[in-house]
Amino acid sequence: MIRYEWKKIFGSRLNVATMLLGYLLIGICVYNYITQERFYDAATDSYIEGVEAYRLEQELAQSQTDVITEAYVTDLIRDIQSSGMDLESDDAYVEIIRPLGDMFYFVSKNYTDMRSENTDMDALDKVDVSEGAHFYEHRMEKITDYLNMDFSYGNYTEAEKAYWIAKASRTNVPFRWGSKSVMDKVGELLFAVFYLWFVVAICVSSVFSSEYESGAAYLLLTTKYGKDRLVRSKIGVAVLFTVGYLTGGVLFAVVPVALLLGLPGADLPVQLWNPVIPYNITIGQLCLGMFGLLLLIGSAIALVLLCCSAGLRSSLATLTIGAAVIIAPAFFPMSKKSGLWNHINYLFPVRAFNLEDVMGSYVSYAAGNVVISYTAMVVIVYMAVSAVSLLWIRRAFVKTR
Amino acid sequence: MELILDRVTKQYKNKIAVDRLSASLKEGVYGLLGANGAGKTTLMRMICGIAQISSGEIRLDGEDVGAMGGRYRDLLGYLPQDFGYYHRFTAMEFMLYIALLKGLNRSYAVRQCKLLLQKVGLESEMRHKIRTFSGGMRQRLGIAQALLNDPKILILDEPTAGLDPKERVRFRDMIAELGRERIVILSTHIVSDVEEIADWIFLMRQGQFIAQGTLEDLKAHYLEVAGDAEPEKFNLEKLYLFYFSE
Repeated sequence: MIRYEWKKIFGSRLNVATMLLGYLLIGICVYNYITQERFYDAATDSYIEGVEAYRLEQELAQSQTDVITEAYVTDLIRDIQSSGMDLESDDAYVEIIRPLGDMFYFVSKNYTDMRSENTDMDALDKVDVSEGAHFYEHRMEKITDYLNMDFSYGNYTEAEKAYWIAKASRTNVPFRWGSKSVMDKVGELLFAVFYLWFVVAICVSSVFSSEYESGAAYLLLTTKYGKDRLVRSKIGVAVLFTVGYLTGGVLFAVVPVALLLGLPGADLPVQLWNPVIPYNITIGQLCLGMFGLLLLIGSAIALVLLCCSAGLRSSLATLTIGAAVIIAPAFFPMSKKSGLWNHINYLFPVRAFNLEDVMGSYVSYAAGNVVISYTAMVVIVYMAVSAVSLLWIRRAFVKTR
Repeated sequence: MELILDRVTKQYKNKIAVDRLSASLKEGVYGLLGANGAGKTTLMRMICGIAQISSGEIRLDGEDVGAMGGRYRDLLGYLPQDFGYYHRFTAMEFMLYIALLKGLNRSYAVRQCKLLLQKVGLESEMRHKIRTFSGGMRQRLGIAQALLNDPKILILDEPTAGLDPKERVRFRDMIAELGRERIVILSTHIVSDVEEIADWIFLMRQGQFIAQGTLEDLKAHYLEVAGDAEPEKFNLEKLYLFYFSE
C-alpha cells in the first residue's frame, strides 16, 4: 500500500517540480557560501576568495592560539588598547580588527552587553586589564547580572537563575580555539534548509484532501482497510517523505562543503559562536542538534498539515495554513509586557529552529522549582503536537458528514 | 441475506435529504429513480457507511451495519458517482490498489483484476495510464473495481453514465446476472435501464419513496392514479414523467 501512496506523492508534477526547486536553491546557497567567502591576506594586501579563503582562515586561527587562556586575552586587549585607536574607526578596522579576524569579534562579544544583538566594537577599550582580563570571570558575572536584571515582561525566578548559573558554570573552560569559518557556513546552511518545510507543506497538504477533492475518498472509505491501513500508510509515507526529503536537503547542503573543505572546527566548543552559551557541547554537536530539530519540527508540521488536510478536505486551505505556520511567526514581535506571549512566540517553528540564537538566549520555562530549558521545551512541544495530530488524523479523515 | 432500512433519515442544517425511508432488501436488483437532488446519492452513501445517518438504522441480517465496521465493508462493492481516478496509475495498478484495500491477497488479486478487466473489455488497456481513458472506459474500470471482492451488496451510482448504447446493454445484462445472488442497488437517470433489469423499483422525490414495487405493481398503480386509457402502451418513462414533470 505504501508503494501506491508513494506514487501519489511523486506522481504529481507540481510536487516533483517543487522538490527539485527546493534542492536547486540549496545548491545555489552552497555555491554562494563557498565562492563568496573572503579573507584579507596581509602578506599580499588583498582579499582572497573561495576555498583558499577558508584555508587561510584556518592558518590564521592556528597561528593565534590553541586555547583562549586568561594570559592570551589579557595580552591581546593590552595590545589593542596600547594602539590608542578608536575601535569604531576605519583605521582600527584596517590595522587591528581585520588582521585579528574572528578572534577580535569573539573576545569583544564576551565584553558586550547580553541584551545587545550586535558585538560592541569598542567594548575592549573599556576593559580594565591592570590585573588581567578576567575573561571567564567576566563571562559568569555577565550571565549573573543578566539573570538578575529587571525586565518589563517579567524577571527570572530564583529557580531559573540557579538553573542557568549552574549550567553556565559547568561549561568547560578555557575554551579551545581554532577556525570556525567552515562550521559557521554549515550552521547557516542548516538554518537555510528550513525553507524545505514549504516543500514538505506543498507535498503533504494534498495527501488526504485530494481524495475528497477528487471524490475517491467515497470509494476508499467503503473498502475493508480504507479506514485504518490506508490512513496508516498515508501517514507513514508522509512522515517518511518529510524525513527523507529534509535529510536529503541537509546532505545536499553539507556533503559538498565537507568534500571541498572538510569540517574543521566541528570539535570546537559552541561558545566560540557566543561565549555565554551555557551548553557544554561542540559546534558539530550543535549542528547535529539543528538537524534533529529540522526533522522533528518538519515532521510535526507535516502531521499538523495531514490533520488539516483530512479535516478541511481542501489542499489550498491546508497549504495556506502550512505557509502561515511556517513563516508568519517569524514576524511576530516580542512583547515588552507579556512574558507569556514571548515564551509562546519563542516556540514557533522558525524561531525554535534557530539553535545558535536559542542557545544563548537563556529562555526557560519554569513551574515552581521545575525549570525546563528552551531546547527541551521545543522538543517536548513538537513531540506533543505530533502525537496529538497523529491521534486526530484518522478521526478527521474517516468522519462521516 | 437481508438488508433493512429502518426509518433512515439524513438531515443537513435546514434540509432533509432523506426522510424516514424504510425498506427490506434481499437478493435482487433494486433501481432508484428520481430527479437530481431527490436524495439517491445520499441514501447510497448512508448504506455504504460514508454519510452519517441522522436517525434510523440500517441492519444486515439483524446487525447494525455501523457496528459491523470492517466486516460490513468486506461485503460491499461501491461505484460512486463521478469519482476521481488516479490518472497516473495504470488500470492494473488502480485495480491492484483497490484490491489491496479490500484485503485480497496478492496472487488472487492479480488473477481477479485480470479477469474483471477482461470482463469489462479493458484487458488490452490494463497497462495504459488511466489519464488516456475515455469517460466510458473509466466507468467500466469503476464497475470492475466494485466487483473485486465479489461483494454481497453492490451499490452502483449511475453505473451506465458515459457508456455507449452497446456497452450499456452489455452492462445491464451483467448487472442482472449479478443480482441473482446478491443485493444490487443502482441509481440512474436512464429509465430504460431500470425498467429492463430492476426486480424492484423505488421512485424518490424530496428524500422520500413516492412509489415502489415491481414493474407490474407500478404499472397497476399508474393506471389507477393516472387513469391512462392505453395500458398496453405503458412504460416506466410514462410513470416517471407522471411524477416528475410537475
